[in-house]
Amino acid sequence: MNGASGNGASDGVGASRRESVLQRRLSLADMLDLPSFVEVVRSFSELYRVGIKVMDTAGDKLADVKVGHGDFCSYVFGFPEGRSRCTATVARVKDGPVAPVQSARPARGDGAEAAGIIALPCFTGLRYLVMPVRWEGDTLGRVILGPFTPEELADFPPSLTDISGVDLSRAHELVGRVRRVPERTAAQVLVHFGQVLAALVASGQRAFLATQLHIEAMLETHRDLEANNARLAQANTRLKELDRLKSTFLGTVSHELRTPLASIIGYSEMLAEGLAGALNPEQLLYVRTIVEKGESLLNLISSILDLSQIEAGRLRLVMGPVDLGSVIQTAVSSVAPQAQRKGVELEVRLPPLPQPRLAADADKLRQVVVNLLANAVKFTSSGGRVSVVMSEATAQKELAAQGYRVSVEDTGMGIRADQFENIFQSFYQVDGSSTREHGGAGLGLAIVKSLVEGHGGRVSVESEFGRGSRFTVVLPLQPPLSEHGGFSALAPMPSPGGQDRF
Amino acid sequence: MQLNHAQRELTLKIVYYGPGLSGKTTNLRHLHAKASPEVRGRLLTVETHDDRTLFFDLLPVFFSTSSGFKVKVKLFTVPGQVIHNATRRIVLQGADAVVFIADSRRGATADNNAYWRNLQENMKENNLDPSQVPVVIQFNKKDLPDARTDAEIEESRRRGGEAVVGAVALRGEGVLETFHAVAQAAYRRLDMRAHLARNLGLTEAEFLGQIFRRMDLTGTALAAMYGRAAGEARSGDGR
Ligand SMILES: Nc1nc2c(ncn2[C@@H]2O[C@H](COP(=O)(O)OP(=O)(O)OP(=O)(O)O)[C@@H](O)[C@H]2O)c(=O)[nH]1
Ligand SMILES: Nc1ncnc2c1ncn2[C@@H]1O[C@H](COP(=O)(O)OP(=O)(O)OP(=O)(O)O)[C@@H](O)[C@H]1O
Ligand SMILES: [Mg+2]
Ligand SMILES: [Mg+2]
Repeated sequence: MNGASGNGASDGVGASRRESVLQRRLSLADMLDLPSFVEVVRSFSELYRVGIKVMDTAGDKLADVKVGHGDFCSYVFGFPEGRSRCTATVARVKDGPVAPVQSARPARGDGAEAAGIIALPCFTGLRYLVMPVRWEGDTLGRVILGPFTPEELADFPPSLTDISGVDLSRAHELVGRVRRVPERTAAQVLVHFGQVLAALVASGQRAFLATQLHIEAMLETHRDLEANNARLAQANTRLKELDRLKSTFLGTVSHELRTPLASIIGYSEMLAEGLAGALNPEQLLYVRTIVEKGESLLNLISSILDLSQIEAGRLRLVMGPVDLGSVIQTAVSSVAPQAQRKGVELEVRLPPLPQPRLAADADKLRQVVVNLLANAVKFTSSGGRVSVVMSEATAQKELAAQGYRVSVEDTGMGIRADQFENIFQSFYQVDGSSTREHGGAGLGLAIVKSLVEGHGGRVSVESEFGRGSRFTVVLPLQPPLSEHGGFSALAPMPSPGGQDRF
Repeated sequence: MQLNHAQRELTLKIVYYGPGLSGKTTNLRHLHAKASPEVRGRLLTVETHDDRTLFFDLLPVFFSTSSGFKVKVKLFTVPGQVIHNATRRIVLQGADAVVFIADSRRGATADNNAYWRNLQENMKENNLDPSQVPVVIQFNKKDLPDARTDAEIEESRRRGGEAVVGAVALRGEGVLETFHAVAQAAYRRLDMRAHLARNLGLTEAEFLGQIFRRMDLTGTALAAMYGRAAGEARSGDGR
């Protein structure tokens, strides 16, 4: 989690959700695409040469096209009395009820009554028609048509002529530019306009709601995803924590066990060597058994400790130039006694000429070879043979680099192909009962794999069940830089990499 | 419910919920066809090219009461496809009653159950108490092979508290009955909460009458209850 978006997720779940557009009452402006609507109004006005205004219930103008009456109205408006009468008329038209009250009457014309159109006189003798915009039982606004000169108007009424200063011939000249039309015709124009408006509102509402809902659904989905992410992140953190605890616990416990165990072995050895007085043969046998079992216990604990360190990402490789041949020699000599005791032949084949050193941790590589050899000896019965073969430094196709190839081969019991992957997992043994027979905890190969991969190498197995196995380790001359010492690839939960870049 | 005393307006919301292709849109189409234009608006549908509901369908039904209140009942359908859960949740917001359109076929039982659970979840997400919002269940597509028998539907009715209606929405059977049941349930629920009869002077009989007297009920049992009353042809506010 980082940055501002992270905060939203935690308080987002189930908290106050934005009210959907579906719960809102839509205004006329919501449902019309205004620029194209204005175009429609303009072409209507121009076609019929009469002004049209469309207003919503809040009194806001959505479209206002003036045709013809401008000069006449400005002329009349120029006189103080004209101005106040004009203002009153306009107020009635724009804000008064769209009902046949307050000087209004139902307009004449086909469909005018059904559409709720009213006729409103102007004090100049001109006339307005006003139609409510009805939508699904609601009134959303009004359409004002006019002013126009009613066909039946013979002369100006007194409400114009009694305004002092008005030049009637000038007024006649200007009113001639105002459209002269029968009220019925004007009403029909308005009814027709109403039908077009209804169609525009229907498609506009659909488009508006669809768009809004699309956005809402995306936000809602986003919110779901964030809530899920937050839950997953939480679970992930918990798992990582548990994993870390496990490794720490194992590490600590192993360490605490090793110290007293080393003392037990040490004192037993002193006893066996007679430092506390001579032992009779039976006592010696017992004490040697204590030493032997103590050592195998110590080995097990060491393995657990190694593995827990590897898993905790705390194992550090101490890199230096290593002569692989002598590492192998040392490893062989440490398992030789076991092999001899068991009657298993041990064979080592190293390159005849000295080979370049490789950059590695000598102790860890020795542990790799010892573990493989110990297995080979352990799972091969008397009369069998174990051989270690080391290649010269050559190109290794698995690594796409120069390196060595070390194989540990035996003529033992072999491994079934379906077990090839499992045996590299910690605590895995092909046959659980073999623990009793062969000992061990199933950690050797897990450690081999971790250490080899820590060096940038690979380990693999081939086997013919019942006839023998071959474990092959490929090591690069130079471990790739990124894997130097670190076990990032093995760390149980790689932490999401580093700092934000932007 | 949205009650606006200043504007003297009451808005109700009924949501048709259910699995994909169970027939929600078909229900609304039939209601639209059977309602007289003076009580209903346009049927707003937003569909994909293959007739699947993309966001919702909306059919508004409206009338004015004798006491001059404007009542609007908005019928919505949700999109049934699984991926549209977020949209279903949005459309369900503020529902006063729900119609659950189930597919009667036995093979659809698992789907019906899944969507029923989904309804409960989305109600909770919207702070709607499932025990407080009336639900009417419609067993649609009774015409198809493998559909439950009437006896099985009856048994299903007894298992829960919801009203249950069998239907073949494609032929209009059961659609008006379902709407009647949900409208009645919605009214009763709101009357309990907001005392519509006492505060608005809107009785159940008027509420249902205003709507169903303006629907073509031919061939349904409702026809006898709401036989065309000439006096009602004049609508409340003289539009
Ligand atoms: N046989 C039969 N088919 C029906 C019936 N009702 C609806 N259908 C059909 O079922 C299909 C889906 O119907 P819709 O109403 O679109 O389903 P919906 O529930 O709206 O589906 P979504 O929008 O995807 O959630 C259509 O082809 C309808 O014709 C019915 O009673 N019987
Ligand atoms: N050379 C081999 N031949 C046959 N089986 C083998 C051989 N090497 C390993 N295995 C199988 O793989 C299993 C895992 O080996 P690993 O070295 O991890 O554990 P272990 O030897 O059982 O115990 P530990 O190494 O911890 O003492 C063994 O138990 C055995 O079943
Ligand atoms: Mg081993
Ligand atoms: Mg649909």
